[in-house]
Amino acid sequence: MTHRTEIRYTLVGQGQNVVEHDPVEGPCRWLETPDDVIDFISGDGVQETIVISRGGTTTFVAPALTSGVRGLVTLNGGPESHLGIVSREFGIPCVMSVAFTEGITTAVGETIPADGTILRLDTTTTPTASVYVRAD
Amino acid sequence: MAAPEEFAKFLERYLAEVPGGDEGDREMRRRIKVPFMDTTDDDVRRDAIADEEIDGWLSYVGWNLWEPIANRSTEGESGLIPRQEYETIAFVQQWATYPALFRELTGILGVDGIIALGATSRREVSTQLNPTRNWAAAICPLLGRGIGVSLGLEKPGDRRADVETLVQFARRLQHGTWGGGCGFVSGRGFSQAVLEDDVVGGFLVDETRLDDPEQRQAFLKFNATTELFGFLMSYDCRAALSDSGPYPVPGGGFMLVRDHQLREPAWPWAHLADGLPYSITEALVFRPTEPIDVKINDISTTFTTPRDYLKHLSGVAVYARDTWDTPMSELRRLDADEMAAITDKASAATIDLYKDIAKKDRDQKIRDGVLVYTTTMIMPYARVAGVWDRWVADGFYELHELTEAAWPTLAGGKAAEVLGPVFLLGQGFPPVSDAVPA
Repeated sequence: MTHRTEIRYTLVGQGQNVVEHDPVEGPCRWLETPDDVIDFISGDGVQETIVISRGGTTTFVAPALTSGVRGLVTLNGGPESHLGIVSREFGIPCVMSVAFTEGITTAVGETIPADGTILRLDTTTTPTASVYVRAD
Repeated sequence: MAAPEEFAKFLERYLAEVPGGDEGDREMRRRIKVPFMDTTDDDVRRDAIADEEIDGWLSYVGWNLWEPIANRSTEGESGLIPRQEYETIAFVQQWATYPALFRELTGILGVDGIIALGATSRREVSTQLNPTRNWAAAICPLLGRGIGVSLGLEKPGDRRADVETLVQFARRLQHGTWGGGCGFVSGRGFSQAVLEDDVVGGFLVDETRLDDPEQRQAFLKFNATTELFGFLMSYDCRAALSDSGPYPVPGGGFMLVRDHQLREPAWPWAHLADGLPYSITEALVFRPTEPIDVKINDISTTFTTPRDYLKHLSGVAVYARDTWDTPMSELRRLDADEMAAITDKASAATIDLYKDIAKKDRDQKIRDGVLVYTTTMIMPYARVAGVWDRWVADGFYELHELTEAAWPTLAGGKAAEVLGPVFLLGQGFPPVSDAVPA
């Protein structure tokens, strides 16, 4: 007998989609400082991870881009931002200026999903993409 | 502009009134009395220009700057590099120093020599003498003027002659590039097809088709990795990148020509790029299977509709310029093996450079960024004129007293506050005719 479990997703935010891609899914990781970025790329599971960062500039997450993360989410910026331009060239799905509706609160008061939360980036449409949390 | 809904209006339209794109260009032309953003053989040779000419030009560039920057203005802090701080400080330093240096360059090369510098981009790639530099030559230092006025350090009427010098220097470069008409890409349908036909034709002859998926993937990684490294080497500014085109290709489709500068010896951290060429150039040939609209803005960045243009990439020809003074005739074609080697080196160097920057304190990062910005927008001209080394020896990198006066405010957390009105509200370019006589 087979048992089929339906995966449920909750919409937790929308943002500006850089380029149309197939949806991607993976555990998220909030990177706040350069040391966070360096620790992250030295660890496991880099290529399965969806990175969340505050700004829309390229250089802060540069090592994450070259390491081939699965997706990017930013709290600021847009497709014309440097990170938007470079993520397009890497072919990494990127959703920018996402305002999360639920999650934990950062030290400066932003709402973000907790590290390890499984996110799904629905980047199939422009200009807007949706971010979902998977409920296991 | 405090309320988010009010702020959004200023992102959507310049001064909450003028749209972006071709419609915005038409609207600005309707509003401006003297369309001095257009150049002629005669008017670029004049040293003296009228207030209404300067003000027409300043009005246009207020919109022209807003056009590519508005949405980017929401991108916030870097987390690695205090970019808004170094940009604003560098603008002030440029305003303090560039006019005299431009006059010196004009004295050495003559007006026709400056026009010839602008014409370089019609025949050469990877030189840094490109439409982005034409654009930045006056706009960046004039932003420094606007910031100085915003901070109460200067008045709009101060140093009118320096405004005149900056505007005419930039217009001469633009005239060399385009031969007349609008000096800005925003007034040319956002097309930057500046290279002459035979140069484009030569690239097309060298095209290698990307039919093999593995080869295609390797090239895309090369393209992305070198672009990212260029951004990081130049402290998250666009100085290292330049696109031109679109150039129609026989049988349909188009070519984009893209430079990624990898190893600029003027940067104190250039040793981290040892083994990489000064710059690479990619001739990217697209044969799309669906209609695709291509626009390249004044800062030489391509945007397309639909946005995923790379899926239509059909073939490439890639070249290296090994040093900044390598002649165009000695550009070297890169094969797949060398591209793979560059990808690996640039990828490793990205991590090394990132760690190097991360170790620096905030003040040093700002100084580094100021060094990049103030150098990159004038050094390409100074090298041609043979004066760059002397300028450095004579104190090019010393901060001007105006810059020192602005530093505490701009480095102390006010940079973003200053940049908003300067970028979005046209306050970066106060008209000279508003000046109150001293």
